[in-house]
Order: sequence, then structure tokens, then C-alpha cells
Amino acid sequence: MTGNTVHATFDIYRFDPTHDAQPRYQRYELDLPPHTPILTAILKIRAEADPTLTARYSCRSAICGSCAMQVNGKSRLACETQIGPELARDGRIVLEPMRNQKVLRDLVVDQEPFWRRYDEIRPHLILDPTKPMPEGKENPMTPTEVERFRETPRCIACAACYSACPAVEADPEFPGPMALAKLYRFVVDPRDQAHQDRLVRIQTGGLWLCLRCHLCTEACPKDVRPSERIRDLKEMAIAVQGGTEAGSRHAIGFKENIRERGLLNEMKLVRQTSGLGGLVGQAGQGMRMMRKKPEILKRPHPIEQLDEVEKIYEALDRKEAPP
Amino acid sequence: MKLAYYPGCVAQESGKELDMATRFVCRALGIELAEFPSFSCCGSGFVDEANEVLNVAINVRNLALAEKAGLDLLTICSTCQGMLSLANLRYQDPKVKERVDAALRPLGIEYRGTVKVKHLLRVLTEDVGVARLQEKVVRPLGSIKIGAFYGCHLLRPADELHWESAEEPHAFEDLLKAVGATPVYYRGRVMCCGFPIQFVKPSTASQIAGRQIDDAKAHGAEAMATPCPLCHISLDAYQNQAEKAVGHALDMPVFHLPQVVGLALGATPEQLGLARHLVPVDAALAKMTAPVASR
Repeated sequence: MTGNTVHATFDIYRFDPTHDAQPRYQRYELDLPPHTPILTAILKIRAEADPTLTARYSCRSAICGSCAMQVNGKSRLACETQIGPELARDGRIVLEPMRNQKVLRDLVVDQEPFWRRYDEIRPHLILDPTKPMPEGKENPMTPTEVERFRETPRCIACAACYSACPAVEADPEFPGPMALAKLYRFVVDPRDQAHQDRLVRIQTGGLWLCLRCHLCTEACPKDVRPSERIRDLKEMAIAVQGGTEAGSRHAIGFKENIRERGLLNEMKLVRQTSGLGGLVGQAGQGMRMMRKKPEILKRPHPIEQLDEVEKIYEALDRKEAPP
Repeated sequence: MKLAYYPGCVAQESGKELDMATRFVCRALGIELAEFPSFSCCGSGFVDEANEVLNVAINVRNLALAEKAGLDLLTICSTCQGMLSLANLRYQDPKVKERVDAALRPLGIEYRGTVKVKHLLRVLTEDVGVARLQEKVVRPLGSIKIGAFYGCHLLRPADELHWESAEEPHAFEDLLKAVGATPVYYRGRVMCCGFPIQFVKPSTASQIAGRQIDDAKAHGAEAMATPCPLCHISLDAYQNQAEKAVGHALDMPVFHLPQVVGLALGATPEQLGLARHLVPVDAALAKMTAPVASR
């Protein structure tokens, strides 16, 4: 450190798919005050050392969501992440593009799939054309109704959640945390007329692929908490449709399963979720497990005071047909 | 130290080896386990998806049982830990509390919110302490390289669970060092094992499990260890499916956390139920238990 600056080593991912066979990391060294935002450092490198370094940015104030990237392996907005703590912890700053999206060049990724999944949830109010708004009147909401949006209007669509999500990584069917958080915002909007239709569609549109791992909630720079709103969507979807999909059948099946004995009956749950066909499909796996873990065939002993569990269910649970 | 022992469903059923290992470790370290045959399942995140308030209520019932006995609660599963901790938190929301209390009051169940929910990993690293644990080690584990795999609900949401950093936790690695293993740091250690969608879309679940095992392996792990029996199912019992999903052999032995500690405290493989794993642990075990002189 000299004066009020620190020596900062940046290793920045460089890749131009039109020319390069392989991505590489390029090192830049500069002295900067420790409170310097990473985006400022990138712009300085670009202005003074290497005009070819490519990054996406706009507002520089954590509002536009353009400059999300991986800083030392974590999803961050480059404009609001200071270099000091990163250097103190890791000794250098590795900058990489976001995950789960194709790299266009250096730190810029192709956001087309991310926005397409957003468009697919129909991110606008759907009104009933037979009930037009009275002339000259708006569609007012009460403060209590606005509270139902929770944190979702804060989303700046930076795609940090999309980048962090293991379901997005493994399965193109999953719409991603941001699209689902936005969907939630319209499902609870009292002005929207398509609540049920939205819930019915998303049940087969990947909702149940959410792993509730909360990596999105951890990655979000605006505390939108997508994983918690996805949970809400699941409960609302079950309330509207019951167990029509493997995911909703599994949730309902699990709930009913532990009502019977207080503890999980593993074998029965497989049947509840996957049906008899699923049980046959899982038979090979079951046989392998049974050899080492014969308990999976046995029903658990009922817990003591099981009647208390039953009474709690009677007081708080909707009556649902078993899946 | 005396704790209300919350084994969870899996450790009482297909994951019995986790219960065996936990009992060995607690006995060796003087942790007394109070049994509660009336504890119910935590809902495993699935009941929460179907009915959030019901899920809080069944867990508040569990917490109230421990509170009545004046004990904090010991979990041995990342998911149980998450569900019971979040029930403690959600119960503070007046709207939730009102509905939960209305269901529990007629049963004579009251909960004042005093019970701390602690995973075994936290008890070992904080209450017992890494230094004291190290003193009790009779068989350091031969510097075997182990990839810790935390399990989502032990870490996240971090602002609600108030324990480890969700992005850079270190308790498990501290523990591994204390028992003479070499921790391996890899991105997958804080990722998801795929278990929650094992019955929704098995191919995707196995793809996710396979990626984390591959990542641990690429960073040199000779074995993995997890504080969550659900992760253990994904990583061990379904490893054959993960191999199919990623298209190559994985051959990764996966230990439950207390099995690793138990070995260092002198347990035999039989006492820890190591033969119950689907992926054989023999090669890793040989390295972990080789006489010090031969190393």
C-alpha cells in the first residue's frame, strides 16, 4: 500500500469466440484507493491500458442491473463491490462473466434466454376485457394489497440469480428465479385477472424444478428473495389445482405421509409421487438400496402423541384429496 | 452437555448409520442425548411447499417439547436444521403465530421461543470446540483429502439462519483439519445436491449431484463428507444415477460427518455402519486408518 492506495492485481477473463479457441485470463496491475468500485477499475483499465476489454454497464449506481459478473467466484454488481475487501480476503481479484449464459465477449454474456424466459411469464397486467375501467378512473390498490408484492418490485433484472441457479445450469426447462419472482408479482396483483391461469401454466412450466437451495436469494443484490416467492407460488398452485404434477404430488404426498405416523414412510412416498409405474421404474434402484439398507421396506413406528399431529393438521390444513 | 436429540426421519430409517455414528461421537465427547419419541418429521421442505403455516406448527410442536425439558435441540441433518430454525423465526411473525397458537393451544402446547436449534457441526466446532476435539483424536485421518459438502439448508438463507457465511463457510473444513484430514475447497461444496427434485425429474437431480462430485474430484478430493443425510442419499445411494447423468464413473466414497469424526475418535467401521453405504469406502478407509508408522 502506498499512501491511501492499495496494489490491486486483476485476473480478468478474456474471450472473443469469433477469434479465440480458448478463453484466457489476462493480468492487470494498478494502484487504487481500497474503496474503488470494481466497475471503476475496469473502466480505468479500459481507458489507460487496454481498450479491447469488454464489459456491460450503464448507471454505475446499482440501479440498472447491467454490470453483474462473477467477482472472485461470486455473483456481484461490479459497480457496488469495492476492491479493498476482495483483495484483503483473496489477495487478487478474479473477474469472470456470469454463469449459465453464453459468453459474447470477455465479461459480456448473451442475455437472450434470460429475457425470453421473462417474456414467457407474460410480465404485464392481464385485464378482463369485459370489465373495462370506468372512464377517467385508474385501478387503485390499497397499501395492504401493495404489501403482497413483498420484495419483488425491487428486482433490477441483473440476472445474478440466473447465474447462480443450479436448476438453470442443469435443465433448460426451468424458467429461472427472476422470471418466477416476477410471475409471483403478477399472481398477487389484485388488478390482474389471470391469477389461476398463470398458476396452472407454471405448474407444467418448470415451477417444480426449483430446488429451494436459496442460492438465488443469496446472490440477489436487491434482496428480492426469489426462492421464498417460488415457495409461495408452489403453495398457491397446489391450492388452485392440487397434485397434478410430480412436484405437487410429492409435496402433498409428503404432507399426508407424515400425518399417518409422524415420521416419513420412505417406500410409500415413492408410490405416492410416482404411482405404481414409478415404483416399478425405481425398482432397480430400490433393490440396490435394500441390500444395504433393509429398513426402507419397513414402515416407521408411529411417534408418541401422534394425535397431536393429527389435531394440528385438522386445524391448519386444507382438505385435499390424496394424490 | 445435554441436548434434545432430533435424529430426523432418514437417520432412523435408511440412513441408520448416521444415527450410529452420532451416538458414538457424542458418547466419546461426553454429550448426553435426551430422547424424544414424540418428535415428528420436520417436513423436509416439502410440507413447507404445500402449507407453510402447517409446517411451522409441526416444528413449533417439536421445539416446545425440547423447551419443556429445558434443552437446546441437536440436529444431524442440514434440512432438519433449516426447517426447525426457520420455524423458530417464522413463529415470531404475529400473523403466523396467531394461527399456529390457535392450533396448539387446545393441545396444551405453549412455546416461548427459547430453544436454540444446533446442528452437530456447530456443536462440535463451537460448543466442544476444535481445540478440544483435536485433543480427543486418537487416530488422525492420514491427511486424506476430503471435500466437505454442506447442504443448502445449513447455510441459506444466511440472513435468517445467523451462522456461517453462505458463500465461504469454514466450520466443516476446520473440523476436518482437527481430525487430521485435508479439506478440499471447491465451488460445489456450497451447492445443491439435487435431492429435492429426485422424484420430480430424476435425470436433472442426478446431473446436479454428478456435477458436484466431479467438482470435488477435480480439486483432488479422495472422499466427500456431508452433514446432511439427504445429500448423502443423492451423493452416495444415487451415485450410480449421477454417473449415468454425467457419462462417466465417479467412484466417490461419501461419509456422513460423524463417521469421519468417529473414525478419528477410534470407532471401528462396524460401529459407524460404513458397510451400509452404496459406494464402497474401503480405499478411503484404508488411508484414514493406516497405522501412523506406515504412512
